[in-house]
Amino acid sequence: MNLSRSDRRERLDRLASEFALGTSPPRVRRRLIAIARRDRVVAAALSEWERRMAVLADQVPPVTPPPRAWRNIVARLGLDPEGTSQRETPWWQRLAFWRTLAIASLAGVIAIGIGEWRRAPVIVPAPLVVVLSDPDAKVALIATATRGERYLTLKTVSNARPGPDKAYELWALPQTGAPHALGVIPAGDVVRVPLDNPVDETLSNISTLAVSLEPPGGSPTGKPTGPVLYSGRIERMY
Amino acid sequence: MTGGDPQPGGNARSDKLAALLARTALGDQRAFAELYALASAHLYAVAIRIMRDGAIAEEMLQEAFVSVWHHAGTYDAAKSQPLTWLTSIVRNRCLDRLRRREVDTETLTPRDDDEAPAWEPPSEGPTPVELLLAAADARALRGCLDGLEPGPRQAIALAFFRGLSHRELAAHLREPLGTVKSWVRRGLATLRRCLDAAGAVE
Repeated sequence: MNLSRSDRRERLDRLASEFALGTSPPRVRRRLIAIARRDRVVAAALSEWERRMAVLADQVPPVTPPPRAWRNIVARLGLDPEGTSQRETPWWQRLAFWRTLAIASLAGVIAIGIGEWRRAPVIVPAPLVVVLSDPDAKVALIATATRGERYLTLKTVSNARPGPDKAYELWALPQTGAPHALGVIPAGDVVRVPLDNPVDETLSNISTLAVSLEPPGGSPTGKPTGPVLYSGRIERMY
Repeated sequence: MTGGDPQPGGNARSDKLAALLARTALGDQRAFAELYALASAHLYAVAIRIMRDGAIAEEMLQEAFVSVWHHAGTYDAAKSQPLTWLTSIVRNRCLDRLRRREVDTETLTPRDDDEAPAWEPPSEGPTPVELLLAAADARALRGCLDGLEPGPRQAIALAFFRGLSHRELAAHLREPLGTVKSWVRRGLATLRRCLDAAGAVE
């Protein structure tokens, strides 16, 4: 080709502008990307136009992606599912919070497996076990239930106590939406929290149980008002 | 004018994103999560406009972030703004997917109206041309861009915000391919002149 230097520049500029605009034919796009990897002049032309077009892209009103998008990314990359994009939302909607606690609980399961369960084998046969841990993965409570029963059994395995004028309240966290109260946890080392319906029904769409610190008698609002102290993912054994 | 930052949103955000990219390149998962928290809404919005399908846009966003995790180390803060770099990754994914689809099926039919409302879900907000003009206002180059006739203006807006190819633009605007191509070329030349002039003032 007998293109002069300035003709070549002009041609590159046009190719880069159409690349950044998005109208380059696919083959040209692919070639430009490939060439830019080894040719700094071409790379600079592309990024110069991308910089110009960024002024346009900035005008697009942001749209928050659904939470599963992040979960899928984490799953595809095999990362630890922690961290989140929802800092301003209430704590009970913050996925990172639940994820962190869920991981803590998993660690708890392992710890329990070699420790607590050996000491308290009586709880092992229950078909549903939830290990509730604090964010540092320290196990505090173990919830167990048998299919068809209308109560959850809670065993305190640490020195976790709500204190004199406070109460622990148990919450069920659905896959989506706000948690709902299962009830105030009575005082004692091994206690029962009565349920309105059989366990299977109550927990059918529930992934996680959590315990928050509330005034005596439980949350006055129907939503957790105090800090969530313990949480655990439901492991179904059936 | 508020200094030489080429993007609204400020240097602080760009610095933050660049730092997060650097940490992501080192395999820092928390940084990666924070990067997602800061940038995903913008990138998802860009993808939705191009793909016009929330589920596919989501897929593009995921692919882009998977790629970012693996290639964060190739980001060069000296060469581009972090959000521009991220936006390019998402746009490239979207355009690749669109063009592949375009080869598979001929989905576009010419329309009588200019804005093709059937393409535009009511919730989508501003039209491509409105976005282009908003960009002009944001950079105080409305006067400059007003010099662009409606045809080229719409061609540029539809190409950038919706990812239409030359052929799709021709079908959409009901103009010969050659006319559309020259509109795009003219539009880009004006855009360049206006943006660079605005940049020079800063």
